[in-house]
Amino acid sequence: MTAHDLKTTLGSAKPIVDKTIVEKTHSIEQIRYGCAIGAMQSVVAIPRAIPITHCGPGCADKQFMNLAFYNGFQGGGYGGGAVTPSTNASEREVVFGGGERLTELIGSTLKVLEADLFVVLTGCIPDLVGDDIGAVVKPFQQQAVPIVFAETGGFHGNNFTGHERVTRAIIDQFVGPYDGAPEAGTVNVWTLLPYHNTFWRGDLTEIKRLLAGIGLKVNILFGPESAGVDEWKAIPRAQFNLVIGPWLGLETARHLETKYGQPFLHAPALPIGAGETSAFLRRVAAFAGLDKDRVEAFIADEDARYYKYIEDFTDFYSEYWWGLPARFAVIGDAGYALGLTRFLVNQLGLIPARVIVTDNPPEETRGLISAEFRAIADDVAVDVAFEEDSYTIHEILRKTDFGHKPPILFGTTWERDLARDLKGAIVEVGFPSSYEVVLNRSYVGYRGALTLLEKIYTTAVGASA
Amino acid sequence: MTKQIKQIAIYGKGGIGKSTTTSNISAALAEAGYKVMQFGCDPKADSTNTLRGGEYIPTVLDLLHANARVNAYEAIFEGFGGIYCVEAGGPQPGVGCAGRGIISAVQLLKQQDVFEALDLDVVIYDVLGDVVCGGFAVPVREGIAEHVFTVSSSDFMAIYAANNLFKGIQTYSNKGGALLGGVIANSINTDFHRDIIDDFVARTHTQVVEYVPRSLSVTQAELQGKTTIEAAPKSEQADVYRRLAKRIVEHTESKTPTPLDQQELRDWSASWADRLIAVERQSQLLAS
Ligand SMILES: Nc1ncnc2c1ncn2[C@@H]1O[C@H](COP(=O)(O)OP(=O)(O)OP(=O)(O)O)[C@@H](O)[C@H]1O
Ligand SMILES: [Mg+2]
Repeated sequence: MTAHDLKTTLGSAKPIVDKTIVEKTHSIEQIRYGCAIGAMQSVVAIPRAIPITHCGPGCADKQFMNLAFYNGFQGGGYGGGAVTPSTNASEREVVFGGGERLTELIGSTLKVLEADLFVVLTGCIPDLVGDDIGAVVKPFQQQAVPIVFAETGGFHGNNFTGHERVTRAIIDQFVGPYDGAPEAGTVNVWTLLPYHNTFWRGDLTEIKRLLAGIGLKVNILFGPESAGVDEWKAIPRAQFNLVIGPWLGLETARHLETKYGQPFLHAPALPIGAGETSAFLRRVAAFAGLDKDRVEAFIADEDARYYKYIEDFTDFYSEYWWGLPARFAVIGDAGYALGLTRFLVNQLGLIPARVIVTDNPPEETRGLISAEFRAIADDVAVDVAFEEDSYTIHEILRKTDFGHKPPILFGTTWERDLARDLKGAIVEVGFPSSYEVVLNRSYVGYRGALTLLEKIYTTAVGASA
Repeated sequence: MTKQIKQIAIYGKGGIGKSTTTSNISAALAEAGYKVMQFGCDPKADSTNTLRGGEYIPTVLDLLHANARVNAYEAIFEGFGGIYCVEAGGPQPGVGCAGRGIISAVQLLKQQDVFEALDLDVVIYDVLGDVVCGGFAVPVREGIAEHVFTVSSSDFMAIYAANNLFKGIQTYSNKGGALLGGVIANSINTDFHRDIIDDFVARTHTQVVEYVPRSLSVTQAELQGKTTIEAAPKSEQADVYRRLAKRIVEHTESKTPTPLDQQELRDWSASWADRLIAVERQSQLLAS
């Protein structure tokens, strides 16, 4: 029996259109993202890069603690945590502007810290007062200091927005122009949000392994598998850009298209499980014009291993079926939520009771996200809700019909109490995951899907202990 | 018993004569024996110049820029008649946040209980022309000035600015903010000027505190770095300022004005424009 057959055991999943109307509160309880300056963690995610923060006291620490500590306990890294220099702007910097203070901080940072790239990120104070950060950074750039700046005051948006701004800043101010020929078979990957997506390190490692497996040279850009700034410098030479996820990274890809004339491929769903991953790889291979035999050989090999494990797992699954959840809810950022939903429905045959997207995607991307969720499978459409306030999210979930079996929630630490109230199971898959210690674990691709299965059913079985 | 310090804020369009008028009021009050502080709330820091022989003084924000902790007294300088002169100051144009600067400067003096320690009778805030952000509204907000006076000529733009200020006062009026004492009509030399401003105050339910003519003695005094009170104490203009000062210090009941809305203001100015044309035509007829 294959995973595809599992679906039929459970019967075909029907769309559940239960329009639970919960009024908007205009307040946010239990946050699900950071400030734009939280993108300091995107800098930390680049090997040997260090963020320099120009903000009030507490801003940088709060972002680090939220995104990197109480979220998988991922640690400070080379330039994060206690290392990150900050101007600690106070009233003086408000009244007189913080330019001088920032110049001083950059100067002293260069004396004591060594990095391949420094990124100055601004908080609300300098962005409101209107500090001319470009004018501060320029003299350093002219002295060949590898330094760029991004305006990431909180009112610009959340850490997803900040991430796009930081990426753009590095491309425009550090990578620079290029008019040579493209390098066939090289790809830049724009996908998960580092640190925010709790499993990003393992996930990016798996994504790189997969793409390399079908014959691509991969600029993964963030995380332990990245070659750091050399990889960033190589961005313009790539044959194409690959955006994996419903919206994050699209802005960057469009910018690169204009800037370097690079085409891009957009794969809205994070591939989880053999079915999704094989289809994803075939799509990428076709776009890149890769050697078919090599691609198919890689997929066949991966499939074989994957289904061997699934086969063994089926014994458990068919014996234990009465104790396992049937309906699920996903509460998370659009990227993870879409990938997970597709996997749970198409490969496990679980029934989606509710999906709530919490990363506040730009208005213009919501149509596409909704459409993706409506096309989960031929017979499964999900009406996705966009909501950021945990109070409202939990109200929606309490009103959701999960049938007569205990539900399983794929969410965050904020759903712990709710899961207990609903007498269901909880798998923490997103920010904040404060009851997960995460090193290189991944939930994507072939290997990640198996880990995810372990996690899901260990949680389910563990509940009866 | 602690005495009630009279705190007054003077607003008005840029260049309309706020600092000149304020300084003359301060000088007249000092002459009459009051203990006065003039507090310039303008990054230009030129409010108290004519009280100190035309000389600029270091500002509160200059001191705050140089030191983390500041003794407020270092920012207080004595001027004509023992008037305490303070300038809030601000960042250089184009950087920082001058509005926040005003807040910091006012707070510094308040925190250190300077007004009480100096046993002041009157504090007059001279606020820069255009109230562009929250910081410049500080003097009219709760717990600072109780009375606001607007300097305005009969020019439409000056009246427009006064009307805007009235809107600000109205906003803060039910939150414990300052109320309007009235309009100081500056550069009023003809009946026609007087009629315009009288009509405006009638419509907005306030009053003219004093009509101050445009006078050469003001210019002459300014060139010597002095107020008219100091440079030409016997002039008619000095007496105008004395009368104004007396009315202000004796003023007790301020009110919430009723500003005109955009359309009313336009219609109002258009009607005066028509009358102005008629008056000019008549004078041309008389001349020919
Ligand atoms: N009644 C008057 N007669 C003659 N000159 C006057 C009179 N009132 C003001 N002035 C002159 O007008 C000019 C502007 O006045 P002042 O500096 O007091 O204006 P202000 O409202 O404080 O300006 P700002 O908004 O720039 O601070 C000065 O040169 C002053 O001498
Ligand atoms: Mg002035």
